[in-house]
Amino acid sequence: MENETEAAAQVINGQVEAHVISAAEDESKLVRDAVRKLPSHAVKELLSMGVCIRCIFRLIGVSECIYSCTSLSTSALSTALEKGMCLEGDMMDNGLRIQEDSNSQHSSEEPELEPNLCRICLGILQFTYHDGKEMLMKSDCANEFALLIAKVVKQEGHQIDSFSLEVSIPSRVMENEQAVWLYMKRKYNSELWFPEQLHSEFISAKDVLKLSITNPLETLLDIKSSLSSAFRIRLTYTDSAVKIKVQKSTEMKECNKRRKTGADDMDTIGGCVAAGTDHSNSCTGEEYVGRSCNGLHNHDFPDLSQFQLEKVSEPCRLTFLCHRNPVYIGGRYLKYSRNVSQTRWIIDDERMGEASVEEIIGSNILPIFHGDNYKFHAAGREDIDVRMLGSGRPFLLEIQNARHVPSEVSIKEMERKVNNLENKLVKVKNVKVVGSQGWNLMREGEAEKQKQYAALVWISRPLEDDDLKTLSSLEDMPILQKTPIRVLHRRSPLEREKIIHWMRIERIAGSSQYCLLHLCTQAGTYVKEFVHGDLGRTHPSVGSLLGCRAEILQLDVTDVKMDCF
Amino acid sequence: MEEQKVQDPNNDPQSKDEILNTISSSSSSNSTQQQQKELVEEEELKRLLVPDVRDLPLTPSSAVETNFVPYFAPDFIKTGHDQYVYRHANGLCVIGLAPTHLAFKDDGGVTAVDFNVGKSDRSGIKVTGKRKKNAQHFASNTALCKVCTKDTSYIVRCCVKGSLLEVNDMLITQPGLLNSAADREGYIAIIMPKPDDWLKAKSLLVGADEYKKLRELF
Ligand SMILES: [Zn+2]
Repeated sequence: MENETEAAAQVINGQVEAHVISAAEDESKLVRDAVRKLPSHAVKELLSMGVCIRCIFRLIGVSECIYSCTSLSTSALSTALEKGMCLEGDMMDNGLRIQEDSNSQHSSEEPELEPNLCRICLGILQFTYHDGKEMLMKSDCANEFALLIAKVVKQEGHQIDSFSLEVSIPSRVMENEQAVWLYMKRKYNSELWFPEQLHSEFISAKDVLKLSITNPLETLLDIKSSLSSAFRIRLTYTDSAVKIKVQKSTEMKECNKRRKTGADDMDTIGGCVAAGTDHSNSCTGEEYVGRSCNGLHNHDFPDLSQFQLEKVSEPCRLTFLCHRNPVYIGGRYLKYSRNVSQTRWIIDDERMGEASVEEIIGSNILPIFHGDNYKFHAAGREDIDVRMLGSGRPFLLEIQNARHVPSEVSIKEMERKVNNLENKLVKVKNVKVVGSQGWNLMREGEAEKQKQYAALVWISRPLEDDDLKTLSSLEDMPILQKTPIRVLHRRSPLEREKIIHWMRIERIAGSSQYCLLHLCTQAGTYVKEFVHGDLGRTHPSVGSLLGCRAEILQLDVTDVKMDCF
Repeated sequence: MEEQKVQDPNNDPQSKDEILNTISSSSSSNSTQQQQKELVEEEELKRLLVPDVRDLPLTPSSAVETNFVPYFAPDFIKTGHDQYVYRHANGLCVIGLAPTHLAFKDDGGVTAVDFNVGKSDRSGIKVTGKRKKNAQHFASNTALCKVCTKDTSYIVRCCVKGSLLEVNDMLITQPGLLNSAADREGYIAIIMPKPDDWLKAKSLLVGADEYKKLRELF
């Protein structure tokens, strides 16, 4: 893996170099042009506040294309900025570079180890973060950062043909940029360069990050990024300072109270904004930010010179997550055993039945896709002692985070694997890869559809030809069915009307009292109770229709009529 | 923290019709082969469904026999007031009159059943929901109904302390069910006892063998 990554690094460096040679002119011109248009006095002020270059660009409204320049490293940017400002002439002074380089220069006891973190984006757009092991990570350019992400993706071993990038960043970043933007608006609104945009319109830190690393990731992973991709790379930044803030919360509440009594309309989010201040002048600073966030009282800002952003001492913690949307496998299952439940069924640590359809199918299919887990859904269910024959019953298997993409081959492999199991308890057919709405499809079909059964029935007198006629003459017969006694302990006591669509008796050679009763019923009919009558609680029943006692020895489902799978 | 983007499942590119099309087109791709396959499956189904008669009992045990364990309360409160308690594996108890109950010895047997005993009409209570709302909690000697014969009447009691889930209101219009099928369609009521209460009640009941011995039903 190490070698692979190094190789990848070389590849991308090579490509970047090549790219630079061909496109370097364009890119550096783009940067130069962008820089030339910047208002140097505002840039200078933002830099001295501790705002990074990318955040400055987006606040001042530099066009989006600059962020995806692959050659754009933080150091190259600051050089360009410095030069640009020089070209502009007299506005340049020593202050400009202070924020980028000063720490390492003026204090030899705090060398490069401590990065100078942007007070708006908390270092996110400087590609600086803590990894899962609390290691400080810093990349100079997007390519370097993308390389780290690509390494994680490759370790996961996903078969992928596209990806979508998701970024989640702490709300503190938004609060910071809002505060700064309102401050700038207050101060520079009258100047020509000030962008005519609302604060919600400048490009977000999230999008800048995405723009920066999408191209390098596409190159490294050799696939395209697509919003609709089922494979998602998720970067989650969490604020390392949150725990510190909680400690300070008492102090902040004091502040809040005072403010609330002071002005009724400022009790919203002011208190949670920690951005406005150093501790020395915490109350005024916070109040200032609180007001600006509410968008109120823009006219009575305190002295503009008091505006400060809180120093960021720790970068965000970053976690990478690779995740594929579930893969759905639809099909029908057959169950040949009267001792296999549909789903895993454990009562008091004791397994009911020798196995379950869910586990037999899931455990054999999951390894084919190298997924994390599976979920099994079926359209209705049969009792453990009822076989599922004939058409089979529609099921949907949801494979979570599959690393392998289903193919024609793997579908055939799935069928073969399940159907050739030695115990022959369960088989599958019509197996297909379906979209996630296969789930809805199954749900929809379930309610209104018919179920067909074959029941082994015994009656308390010899069967007569008239009996065959009696039953086969009945079509779409309504019956009233009280909740069967066998489930009455856990279900609501109700009387439901169900429809018996048709019945047909098949005689069994060599017996006068046994027969096979084929019947088609509305979904949800309790068929066993329809045969024996459940102490007269289902009426009419086969017994009452034939005027004798009817008992059911075995039941099988022979057809589940549904459009799907 | 900002909300993360979650893909809307309804936006899935593959539509319902597309799925159905792929399924139907592939299944009808070769119709003769398909027909043959169906024939084989039909044969297979028939083979699985039709039992070997030699494996079947001459008279199978009934659903009642299979699903319930029978207990009896001979001489419950009064001599000759023999009742049964059929207990389902799920804990519910079906209460009814044992075949040796005095009522069946009267000329013409049972002629009427009246659930209007005690404070309320037992058939008027509608129990609802999984939690069995409205179910009344009765003691083992609480009256369930009165069964009348030509000359007299008998009080039928719960025998088991618990919640009354339902009474058999068919008996109001068809009291004869008690004479013809007291252990089936002529049951009196269904009671749900708490596990502890069931254990206490059970210790006062007798099993089928002891009952038969007691009543010399051999
Ligand atoms: Zn920044």
